[in-house]
Amino acid sequence: MKKVISLADASALVENGDTVAFGGNVLHRAPMAFVREIARQGKKDLKIVKTAGAHDIDLLCAVGSVATVDAGFVSYETKFGLASHYRKAVQEGVVKGNEHACYTVICALRGAQMNVPFMPVKGLVAGELLEKNEYFMVVEDPFSGNPVTLVKTIVPDVAVIHVQECDAHGNARIYGPKFEDVLISRAAKKVIITTEQIVPDSKMKLNAEYVDIPSFLVSAVVHAPKGASPTSCYKKYDIDDKSLTSFISMKTKEEIQGYLSSYLAKDHQGERMANR
Amino acid sequence: MMTQSYRPVDIMTCAISNMLKDGETVFHGVSSHLPMVAMSLAKHMHAPDLVHLNIPGGVNPGSIRNASYSSAGADLLDSGEAYFPLEEVFDLSMRGRLDVAFLGGIQFDINGNVNASVIGDYHRPKLRLPGGAGSAVLIPTAKKAIIWRTKHDVRTFVEQVDFVTTRGNLWKIVTPLCVFEFKNGKLYLDTIHPTSSLQEVKDNTGFELLYDEIKYTAEPAKEELVMLKKIDPFDYRAIEL
Repeated sequence: MKKVISLADASALVENGDTVAFGGNVLHRAPMAFVREIARQGKKDLKIVKTAGAHDIDLLCAVGSVATVDAGFVSYETKFGLASHYRKAVQEGVVKGNEHACYTVICALRGAQMNVPFMPVKGLVAGELLEKNEYFMVVEDPFSGNPVTLVKTIVPDVAVIHVQECDAHGNARIYGPKFEDVLISRAAKKVIITTEQIVPDSKMKLNAEYVDIPSFLVSAVVHAPKGASPTSCYKKYDIDDKSLTSFISMKTKEEIQGYLSSYLAKDHQGERMANR
Repeated sequence: MMTQSYRPVDIMTCAISNMLKDGETVFHGVSSHLPMVAMSLAKHMHAPDLVHLNIPGGVNPGSIRNASYSSAGADLLDSGEAYFPLEEVFDLSMRGRLDVAFLGGIQFDINGNVNASVIGDYHRPKLRLPGGAGSAVLIPTAKKAIIWRTKHDVRTFVEQVDFVTTRGNLWKIVTPLCVFEFKNGKLYLDTIHPTSSLQEVKDNTGFELLYDEIKYTAEPAKEELVMLKKIDPFDYRAIEL
């Protein structure tokens, strides 16, 4: 089976209503080419999962693709300000913001990794997040009789992870910080890898111990050079300050559509390179 | 009259640095340039064996100079000595082995409640804030939680927060005007910055000020200011102001 497919075909693997986990963290290594493609395909009712997100979640909220966001933090970093499309969507009741502590997202994904319905989580013992959210519950530890907080497992239908290197089978390697990407690759039912480079099998085999995500977990591979831009990709490129700043200042649907179109050719350049 | 050679943000950075002890394990998260600089300052001044932990997982970054727009970037790992990612920092705190965590928030009240979530109703908020990130599990489990906030006004320091994101081992809150200490279940005025006054703190705080005596925050030492120029030449500590 050929795993290397086009960005459009890979995005079609995401169905309306799916729970989708994205790799990366805030301004770093978010799978933006993929995110832009699902925005262009007009996906609906997605349930987004990420410890800390920014442009990915903000963009999908701007185009109306999102039903819920389970995250500990949704904002750009200091210099770029807040995720205004996400905020607006939550404030208008269009998107449900399920606030977690980043660690409870991690525990909910660990639950999926181990295929158990919930995980005990230490630390979340006070405050209204416990009371207002039905995915947290305090029960009696059957062994000690003490109270213990549980977080409901989140099983992503799809995990989308952008990496620097991957072979044609899907063996993927992440350089620099891995954030929660290895965990989400184990938690999700389907894993889609977008990659800066597709390298020969022999190169991956040379350092098999550095493969973070083995191919048998991977459903599809997309060649997407600059696929994390305008967020950063370690060893490849830094953030695109101009693009982020221009997006953040956008308010209308037309501006957002224009922004998505401006990336269309760039996002599909990996296919053109493969077909040459 | 002597011209002042430091700003409130320098007082904040030095005050935070002096709260950190040698050998402690200390974590900062995303959007956290000021504490990141303060940690580096402590390491260069009095706490060489302080353990600097962060989201990208770089243990003891050798430099923070490249962290221009992000305090969660790969540069912190690139110049670090080992990889210990966020997941494991959380686990460490749960085991009771994280000494200090730096966290944010947008509203604080006299009872030590922290709000980083919403203004108004949780499910249909007037204002959706970024969220508490790790706060809700770190403030209760880290031995000492330090909050910094570059805004000090009556909307930030309130009688009662709109929403309790968390509460717990809050230790200090550092603002451009003063330092609060959380003790006996209440926020106490700990020290007033030499650039501010009791009246100014009073006017900008929405709850009654509790204090045992009037104390002032130490002025940054000359050596600290020199070191700050060296480790933070691009003034990242002032990025929020």
